[in-house]
Amino acid sequence: MTDTATAPRTDTADPGAGPASGDDAGNGVRRTEDTRFLTGQGNYLGDIHRPDLRHVAILRSTQPHARIRSIDTTGAMVLPGVLAVFTGEELAASSGRFHHHLPLIPTLRQIQWSVMAVDKVIFVGEPIAAVVAENRYIAEDALELIAVEYEDLPPVVDPEAALEPGSPLVYDDWPDNIFLYIPGSHGDVDGAFASADGVLRERFVHHRVSGLPLEGHGALGEFDPARGRLTLHASTQSPHMLRTTICEVTGLSEAQVRVIAPDMGGGFGVKNHFMREEALVALIAMRVHYPVVWQQDRFEHLAAGIHSREQIHEAEVAYRADGRVLGLRVRIVADVGSPEIYMMGCAPSVVTTGVLPNTYDLPNYAFELQCVVTNKCPIGGYRGFGQPQAIFTIERLMDMLADRLGMDPVEVRRVNLIADDALPYTTVTGAVLDTGSFNEQLDELLEAVDYRALKEQVAAERAEGRLVGLGIAQMVEPTAPNLHALAGQYGGFEMCMLTMQPDGRVTVHVGTKSQGQGHETIYAGLAAGVLGVAPGDVEVHDGDTAVLPYGMGTWGSRSAVMGGGAVVKAAEQVRDKMIAIAAAMLGAEPGAVELAEGMFRVGEAAVPVAQIASAAYLHTFLLPPGMDPGLSVVVGYDPGNTSPFPDEQGKLNVAATYATAAAAAVVEVSPNDGTVTVRDLTLVHDCGRVIDQFILDGQIRGAIAQAVGATFYEELRYDDGGQPLTTTLLDYTVPGFGDVPETRIIHRETPSALIGGFRGAGEGAIIVTPPALAAAVGDALRETGVTINQANLGPQHLRRMLREQGVSVDPLAAAG
Amino acid sequence: MTMKVSFSLNGEPVETDAEPRELLVDVLRDRLGRTGTHAGCEQGSCGACTILVDGHSVRSCLMLAAQVEGCDVVTIEGIGSPEGLHPLQRAMSEHHGLQCGFCTPGVVLSAIELLETHPDPSRSEIERWMSGSICRCTGYSGIVDAVSAAARGRVR
Repeated sequence: MTDTATAPRTDTADPGAGPASGDDAGNGVRRTEDTRFLTGQGNYLGDIHRPDLRHVAILRSTQPHARIRSIDTTGAMVLPGVLAVFTGEELAASSGRFHHHLPLIPTLRQIQWSVMAVDKVIFVGEPIAAVVAENRYIAEDALELIAVEYEDLPPVVDPEAALEPGSPLVYDDWPDNIFLYIPGSHGDVDGAFASADGVLRERFVHHRVSGLPLEGHGALGEFDPARGRLTLHASTQSPHMLRTTICEVTGLSEAQVRVIAPDMGGGFGVKNHFMREEALVALIAMRVHYPVVWQQDRFEHLAAGIHSREQIHEAEVAYRADGRVLGLRVRIVADVGSPEIYMMGCAPSVVTTGVLPNTYDLPNYAFELQCVVTNKCPIGGYRGFGQPQAIFTIERLMDMLADRLGMDPVEVRRVNLIADDALPYTTVTGAVLDTGSFNEQLDELLEAVDYRALKEQVAAERAEGRLVGLGIAQMVEPTAPNLHALAGQYGGFEMCMLTMQPDGRVTVHVGTKSQGQGHETIYAGLAAGVLGVAPGDVEVHDGDTAVLPYGMGTWGSRSAVMGGGAVVKAAEQVRDKMIAIAAAMLGAEPGAVELAEGMFRVGEAAVPVAQIASAAYLHTFLLPPGMDPGLSVVVGYDPGNTSPFPDEQGKLNVAATYATAAAAAVVEVSPNDGTVTVRDLTLVHDCGRVIDQFILDGQIRGAIAQAVGATFYEELRYDDGGQPLTTTLLDYTVPGFGDVPETRIIHRETPSALIGGFRGAGEGAIIVTPPALAAAVGDALRETGVTINQANLGPQHLRRMLREQGVSVDPLAAAG
Repeated sequence: MTMKVSFSLNGEPVETDAEPRELLVDVLRDRLGRTGTHAGCEQGSCGACTILVDGHSVRSCLMLAAQVEGCDVVTIEGIGSPEGLHPLQRAMSEHHGLQCGFCTPGVVLSAIELLETHPDPSRSEIERWMSGSICRCTGYSGIVDAVSAAARGRVR
């Protein structure tokens, strides 16, 4: 464990004027990454050029559920410029299959699947055949020359209907459409309900959305048949685990496969899944002996990429007349679409069940999770990973309870919050909260917005007939998790290789993978702080499995905690060796050596860092007797703290550390068109020690934009027949310029006990913002009788809700 | 069947082969190696491929290469350099107007056209003008701050 004082802070007090640690070109940029991105010199997957590169295009199912009677590829194969055509059946016969790496869950159906569909398709967009051609134009022409004969089967579209007896089955050999079933009961739930003064029941609908990175998935494979080696460039958040997956499908060994993740145009959890297409590219590269590339286009991304979040919650709260929640029951139906994706698409839903108790002292809690397969695109992760649904539901329930009891939403929370002095607090599901002065955090939020005055002001405006509302929400979030029990190989460690070069400059390789978060900048700052060099003297690399033994990648708000911790740990080991060298040079004990401003000092005597570095390689006769030359380490870092597998009561603690946030929102709803104007959004955010507030604020603002998107703009929709309706950015609308409210961000810093004192930072805002917005909308519509019990508050939904309450809605009036 | 297309690219005359159906974005990226122009949606709705043609911002995914015969084309490679960033590029960094960088070239070129024609835009004018670009990382405020700061720098 590291004294937090040794972990450097790049800046906190004045974010705008922080050190320009990325100033490699002397051009004043704030992040190392910025120079190449601003000048068009980034190196994204699609930018990688090979003179003999061939292009892969993929024929995808037009049917949601059908048997494939025949595929005729003759027309495609004879098209000039086409090199090869592969069908699912051909490749399945000569390759390995994917699976979920979760043999220990007894109620999970163990399935395996191939890179493309064989015999049967189960969603629109599922890969059926692949063409390799001289360029993408010809490859896509060739797709139109492949004839597929389908035998249509009845589609399973609605997850609740999928549970009805007699529903069509996605898999013929299953008795039903349930992929995973997990019941859980903690405490005396029945007793709590029996002794309650009342029970509140509500149903919540969480709609299907996507993280939608602006750059989709993609892969470029190159195979060297003489050496039997494969290099796969892929836009992936977890390059090492992609390598492991590629080896399972190709049959190559991990020593023969190198995965390189280049610059990434976003990820947001979507690229933390291993696509069938990535392995398909590898298999094709091994067969055609040309480098081949596939880059997901926007239709493929929206129809056949990774969707997220679709769940229905049936919740019951047993309460006492004073607002105390005695028990909670939640039945969750999660639509996972096609389950043929690794990591498993149920994993976020399992997280939902774990975090539903949120910040509350809630000893009696039961849940039932049914993950249902449907003939839709696979569900997977997206920033927040099951938590937005849980926190939305529990925070809405608290607001509804307050309404029912005539209490203020703050007061009903006060009655139920975990006490500030109760830490560490073990929640009813086994989470060991290492932070959470929730009352104090709430105080800070209320003070920041002047809650009492604001509430009166909002009430006064509403009395004048305006639909203005105020809402609050709070959350605690497991960060840097170990997900072995619910996601397979996604564990809780990270690695770093750090080398002090002979000239005193530093090379750092990490197993996390930046998708735009600025990891090069923050890791350079962390290493520089330990080693006494300038951040500009540290070169950070990520995304290359040939350099670092392994890494878990970037997901689960883990990079600062795990990647940052590994960097600090590695830098300290190198620094300690340098201290030993300096001590020998200066004729002192190591304990007497101090490092400051690039110099190792003992009293008046001093040796510069660069001189120690050169001694370690070029003047090894200066080293203490018996010391090995070189200044390079490879470290693994597992902060522990987790009990990742359920105990006999089903309790588990997946997170190395927890982060917290609270939000307050003021909104105004237009009664005419159902649009919502966010007039004020204030966030209190605690991710422990802040490494770089400038970058952190960027993460928070981006997460808020996505929260606003999922609340007011975005939904992936299907028709009743299973055809996707949102396959362009004109149908799947994301927030644009002018759509994201300005947000006041207040940082609390409660250091964790881990290296550096860090907690996860990337997801809190996307979790806590939607319930605050929903509470504010609910408050604004209070007098209309509208109940906000769904996460989608887009204008078409608010208009419907208002009309259902007999409110006259006139969009033309809004148009003026 | 290929054809020859001649135009000015970032101030230099170029002649390139192109199929009649070939999109400008593909010719710029694949034939001319200017990969700073990104293809985000290929249907004109994300703005990542925005470039300047005869001084006006266009989506290079909605234009055929053949259409720029004789035109003056500017891509991100023609705006600043690592050693000498354009003031707007510097402002983008200073105000955290970029994270993953995928939308950034289109954003920069779109904003440059704005600043050429409206030297001192208001925040809402910037938002309206820039509405053709989607950014999934920043929440936009840093971009608006950057454009605003670059404009003020010029006015001053």
